[in-house]
Amino acid sequence: MELMFWWLIPPALVIAAVAGWRAFRPDRQANARRRPVANADRLTALPEYQAALRRHRRWLAIAALAAITLMVSSVAAAARPVELTTIAPEQRNRDIMLCLDTSGSMNSADAAVVQVFAELAKKFDGERIGLTVFDSSAVQVFPLTDDYGYVQEQLTLAKDAFDGNPGSAGFLDGTWNGRGSSLIGDGLASCVNGFPDTGAADARSVETGSPDTDSPDSGQPRSRSIVLATDNYLSGDPTFTLEQAAALAKEREVPVYALNPGDFDYGPGPGQPGARLRTAAEASGGAYYRLDSPEAVADIVRSVQETEATAMKGAPQAVVSDRPELPLTLALLSGLVLAGASWRLRP
Amino acid sequence: MTSLLKRVKSKMAIFAHRKARGMLDGEYGSVFRGRSLDFDDLRAYIPGDDVRDIDWKASARFGSPLIKRYVAVRRQTVLLIADTGRGMAAESRDGETKKDIAVMALGVVGYLAHRHGDVVGLVCGDGTGTRSIPAKAGEPHLERLLREVDSATGLDSGPSGIEDQLEYVARNVKGRFLLFVVSDEQAAGPDTEQLLRRLRAQHEVLWLTIRDADLAGEGHTGQDAFSVADSSVLPAHLAASPAIAAAYTKATGERDAARLAMLRRTGITQGHVSGSSAVMTELFALLERHRRAG
Repeated sequence: MELMFWWLIPPALVIAAVAGWRAFRPDRQANARRRPVANADRLTALPEYQAALRRHRRWLAIAALAAITLMVSSVAAAARPVELTTIAPEQRNRDIMLCLDTSGSMNSADAAVVQVFAELAKKFDGERIGLTVFDSSAVQVFPLTDDYGYVQEQLTLAKDAFDGNPGSAGFLDGTWNGRGSSLIGDGLASCVNGFPDTGAADARSVETGSPDTDSPDSGQPRSRSIVLATDNYLSGDPTFTLEQAAALAKEREVPVYALNPGDFDYGPGPGQPGARLRTAAEASGGAYYRLDSPEAVADIVRSVQETEATAMKGAPQAVVSDRPELPLTLALLSGLVLAGASWRLRP
Repeated sequence: MTSLLKRVKSKMAIFAHRKARGMLDGEYGSVFRGRSLDFDDLRAYIPGDDVRDIDWKASARFGSPLIKRYVAVRRQTVLLIADTGRGMAAESRDGETKKDIAVMALGVVGYLAHRHGDVVGLVCGDGTGTRSIPAKAGEPHLERLLREVDSATGLDSGPSGIEDQLEYVARNVKGRFLLFVVSDEQAAGPDTEQLLRRLRAQHEVLWLTIRDADLAGEGHTGQDAFSVADSSVLPAHLAASPAIAAAYTKATGERDAARLAMLRRTGITQGHVSGSSAVMTELFALLERHRRAG
């Protein structure tokens, strides 16, 4: 809590001191309008008079206290008490693309990822999220959006589909149009292209998805990341290899966080699927997480979120918010007390 | 500044015109009957009496010696006792300054004494000190006494306390005087009563009380007042409350009764005035009462 117009305090103190001096200095003329009387103990010795005088003085004290409180709280309110908070607004300028491999082996991991994001979406504010599912071909379920109600709805649908609930099979329609299965490089490239164009000239040359050049925030730098859930078991002939797609992501400055639920590498060789995925993810500036159980997804996603968050806190911004409630409430209350006391004190 | 005595005399003239001329003088003289040169009465001869005092003609008619009673020329001394404390600068019941009423009363008594050929002295002061001016005859002297009282009394003089002046008289004044005390409604205490008893044994005492302003009740003006004793304010709206007014009326009634009872017990004739217009009437009544009582 700080005071924005703190310089109001010294003048207020000076005025208060002058007023106090004027009020309490011995006034020789004060009794000029009153009539002098002798033997005042005829009246002042009466217990009734003393009680009345005590009451009178009590009300005077209450009025004085209320007046002082009113003045102090008014000055405090006039000095504009503000709360200074430092926030990193970039934290909210985040785009997250969920890129889920929907080959049969991935269902449980996908369901966990979708569920975690469904929960996270409730707390999102300004962040955008998109969902792309792919098997042999990629389908953008919904593009980057901050319509969290819709996101919630779609993620719930996606979760039903991954859990294999009846009536939800149509969700994954369109992911088997390509030749083969689990064309991971193509899927990742589709996800990378799912981000709106930032206006980077070099990115334009490799665009394959729908260019979003006239997006209102195309010039605004937003942090982007991809959560890629795949086991990297490729069967087919993708247009993009995983390495090419990772290079594209790196070129667009999109880190890829890879979740691998089926890391069944035979030895530490670089040609193994898990190791390739790790290399690709780390090459794009992201990270690689090996999933041993779907329950671990939540922790991983949160840790991804946190690393993102710390990376974002580059330029903290001070936010000033006025907090006049307390002094103004106090002023109102003391004003009411003063009014009551003045009414009581009226001659 | 007009002469204070002249003001007193003009007031007396108006009064004398209304009443029988010279009545006041007669009243004053008769109070101190037996002190004049005049023939007073006859009484039986007692061995030791002056032979020149025998009234032969009366003795011849009566058959045994009678003594003509002449009282030697003796000037009475009137001692005015006044309070010049700041209490006397306060308002009286009629709204005048109490000091003016006191000066008027002192002037009337002093002038009567002067006309009668008596000498007039003054003892005045406040709680911080007492001064005395020795008794002398003459109008200029009387004027000086009144001036003294008039100028010494103000809101910045010391606190009032008539006991101090009475004590001064008890300690320092020898002989039998006529004391004329002008005071206000000070409370009657046992010490005062003792002191008055002591003074009454030596002197003849007349007491005039100047009524103080009403602080509550019927006579209250509704104007804020302040106590001259300590400058504390007496808010009018507090005194206006009916409960306080009733209590005040009761308390002042008891207080007045106590003061009157004290003066009566000590054998002092007393009167009271609320304004200077009532001074003549009240003094006349006071002297009358004193004559009957004495």
